[in-house]
Amino acid sequence: MDLLLERLVSGLTNGSVYALLALALVVVFRGSGTINFAQGELALFTTFVAWWLTTLGSPVWLAVLASIALGFVLGAGIERLLVRPVQRKNDTAVLIVALGLFTGLNALDALLFGTETKVMPSPFPNGLDDYVSLGGARLYGDALGVWVVLVVLVGLVSLLFRRTRVGLHMRAVADNPESAALAGVPTSRVLALGWGLSGAIGGLAGVLVTPLAPQQLSLTTMFTVFIAASAAALFGGLDSLGGAIVGGLVIGVLEALVTGYVPALGGAMQQTTVLVVIVLILLVRPTGLFGSRRLERV
Amino acid sequence: MSLLEVRGLRAGYGAADVLHGIDLTVDEGEVAVVLGANGAGKTTTMKALAGMLPRRGEVRLGGAELGTRPDRVVAAGMSLVPQGRGTLATLSVLDNLHVGAATRKDRKGIAEDVERWFDTFPVLRERSGQSAGLLSGGEQQMLAVARALMSRPQLLLCDEPSLGLAPIVVQGLFATLGAINAEQGTALLVVEQNAELALDLAHRVHLLEVGEVAATGTAEDFRRDDAVRRAYLGF
Amino acid sequence: MTAVADRPTTTPAPRGRPVAPGRVLVRGSAAHRGLQVAGLLLVVALLVWASTWPLFRMGQLTNVFVLAIAIAGLNLVTGYTGLLSIGHSAFFGLGAYTTGVLVVQYGFDAMLTVPVAIGFCFVAGLLVGLPSLRIHGLYLALVTLAVGVAFPELVRRFDDLTGGAAGLVIRARLLTPPEWTGISRAQRGIWLFWVSAIALVLVLLLVRNLTRSRAGLAMRAVRDHELAAAAQGVHVARVKILTFGLSAAITGLAGALFAMYVGALAPDGSFTLLKSIELVTGLVLGGAATLLGPVVGAVAVVFLPYLTSLVAPGPVSGIAFGVLLIALVFLMPEGVVGRAQIALRRVVTVVDADHPALARTARDPGGPPEPDGQQPGPPPSTDEDQPR
Repeated sequence: MDLLLERLVSGLTNGSVYALLALALVVVFRGSGTINFAQGELALFTTFVAWWLTTLGSPVWLAVLASIALGFVLGAGIERLLVRPVQRKNDTAVLIVALGLFTGLNALDALLFGTETKVMPSPFPNGLDDYVSLGGARLYGDALGVWVVLVVLVGLVSLLFRRTRVGLHMRAVADNPESAALAGVPTSRVLALGWGLSGAIGGLAGVLVTPLAPQQLSLTTMFTVFIAASAAALFGGLDSLGGAIVGGLVIGVLEALVTGYVPALGGAMQQTTVLVVIVLILLVRPTGLFGSRRLERV
Repeated sequence: MSLLEVRGLRAGYGAADVLHGIDLTVDEGEVAVVLGANGAGKTTTMKALAGMLPRRGEVRLGGAELGTRPDRVVAAGMSLVPQGRGTLATLSVLDNLHVGAATRKDRKGIAEDVERWFDTFPVLRERSGQSAGLLSGGEQQMLAVARALMSRPQLLLCDEPSLGLAPIVVQGLFATLGAINAEQGTALLVVEQNAELALDLAHRVHLLEVGEVAATGTAEDFRRDDAVRRAYLGF
Repeated sequence: MTAVADRPTTTPAPRGRPVAPGRVLVRGSAAHRGLQVAGLLLVVALLVWASTWPLFRMGQLTNVFVLAIAIAGLNLVTGYTGLLSIGHSAFFGLGAYTTGVLVVQYGFDAMLTVPVAIGFCFVAGLLVGLPSLRIHGLYLALVTLAVGVAFPELVRRFDDLTGGAAGLVIRARLLTPPEWTGISRAQRGIWLFWVSAIALVLVLLLVRNLTRSRAGLAMRAVRDHELAAAAQGVHVARVKILTFGLSAAITGLAGALFAMYVGALAPDGSFTLLKSIELVTGLVLGGAATLLGPVVGAVAVVFLPYLTSLVAPGPVSGIAFGVLLIALVFLMPEGVVGRAQIALRRVVTVVDADHPALARTARDPGGPPEPDGQQPGPPPSTDEDQPR
């Protein structure tokens, strides 16, 4: 029983990070109808910068803020300079740009920060004694911290979309960019803002995942997270905030349980298992479980 | 000085020009109607004016050169009700109206205007919380007009507002457009295939033919001139 | 009435159609055939010349041929049919491991494993293509991503067969060229060079004929407008699935040859997502939906890392790849071969014998002779003035 609970806790914690990055993917997709395949590597880059700041003696919270800010600037810049000019051509052009960013950023990380594994300090108390007991399972500080961040962030993002002018404009551009422009919405600023927001969320996800990930901060850290996050976003149909959150948590728990109870599939086959589940979901519901509309515009 | 002055407007799609130098004017508080056959360039004119197409030539609103970005055009005081209405289908009716006020900052004024257009189009108030995509065609057209008016334009462009609507709905719509012009002083530039209906509303008429303005005159001129009437207006 | 009405309507000046090419070459005419034969002879001569190079250089060329085959496979599905796959590393790996496992564990003759690898990959491709019936665009890209990520995990999981993370070594003794070639085991690089070169030529011929057939037309129709293609009676689902199968089979062939070329397979070596990105890079660089694009792309992908490592070691080649990919999309989206074809068209145009333009040019003295008995076809469509 304790073991199950502990596995659930660890699954929910990893799942929260997946959900965060999935949220970033959904924000981009809702804004501009594309998947940012470089989202994970973008987050890895900002996280490396945050780590580098901590080695210079910066407090962790400041490094986290820097990662978020850098994520915003990079996200908005990429949209403005690299994605928008080619978006008119086709999906493939955008994907190839993203693949270029993917390889380029990862190699840049290696060049700037070296290939050895690093230890990113956690922004939350994560000592051996920093836990609360819950039905026999230990809830450690950083797990709790990640959960709180996820809840707060989801609240903020949905407030942004539901209650603010900017959020309204983002929804309008996602619905129909031409009509939104004709109604006076500055579409280009809104699009850049969406990518910036997504980059910032990714920057936050990066600094939260690395203290939890078993291999700490390495060049491959965010890739596995990105795979899980894109599966989570797909689970929700790519355009549903709630779907991405549920998807992220489900995948996190699923992974933990599979690893714990089905050793034949666990460990080495973790990602494959998750991905097979997602592909099956897609086959049954081509727009995900929470997808609200037909996504291919004709 | 006219409110809208267009000189030598050229625009098109890709390499081909559809408009070969359009000249037209709209005075303040005036209702101008653009008539013409299919393919004459009516919609292209509207799109070029609204900043949706690259264009050459001179376009001035209130004496100032008008930019070519759609949102700047709206901010300058000219709004387009696009053909096919351009409803933001997944947003609620109320949200659609608020999007129309994107260029404004005065919260109080925006709230007043929402009420005003709800009074003008009561059906929109009834459905304010629904997704706009669920409205009927006529209701969507009302929403499109109301949304464009939310920016408090000096000049409202309407591209074939009667398209696909039942005759009775169209009559109501044109009556409302006339009333808006009379009460608010909003100038109108309306593209319309239904010439008879349009002439009832118009102060001035521009006849478009293969990308050029072939004739300009008052509605009376057009009614009186038998040749023009038979050739272009079909009645 | 302020009449500008009397002014005669000026009709817009007729805009010139694309400037007539300098020369027109009729497909199948003596001149065209002659050029084709000359090109073929040139290729053979180059190959013979290259086979006198040192083994190391020949090995690099073999690598280029193998990669060109793999990219040609990807070209079918991504270039001609417009389904972006970032999972082709899995087919490449499946082909390689089929050969490796059959040779090492079951004692197959290396060459006999090639058809098996092609068959396995064809079936695997059909299976991966299956979701494309219901899943479109970006979703499909994500499914192929899943396939690409899953493959190395599968290799590690079934380690008693594949050697797992430790790798699978094919001893040189198992890769000895057949006796009739008279090539010694130490010289097997020469054997593999010729096998790969011939395989590449066969694949290119297959792709050429396929893409010029009705099937090729259907593929392009699916790429350019799926709904319209379906409305014209193209069986979209069948086209997509079969293309995926064939594409995977060709890339699998490349994998099988690659296994013989390197002789040692490891899941994290050449079969990760990075391989897929390499293939995509090669395709875009060489020119998607062009016949020779994959060859040019393979040359670039093989030699680029050598070039960048001359300037700076290690990760710089990764950065160069990334920058190159992005720059290509901006500066040369049609790729090297695509750009060359556009340039070449100014000099000479190759047309079918029943092309309507021939009826016009035939009147010019010096133009190609009118094909006898041929009625001019329907006039080319002029739909370019339609406002959208």
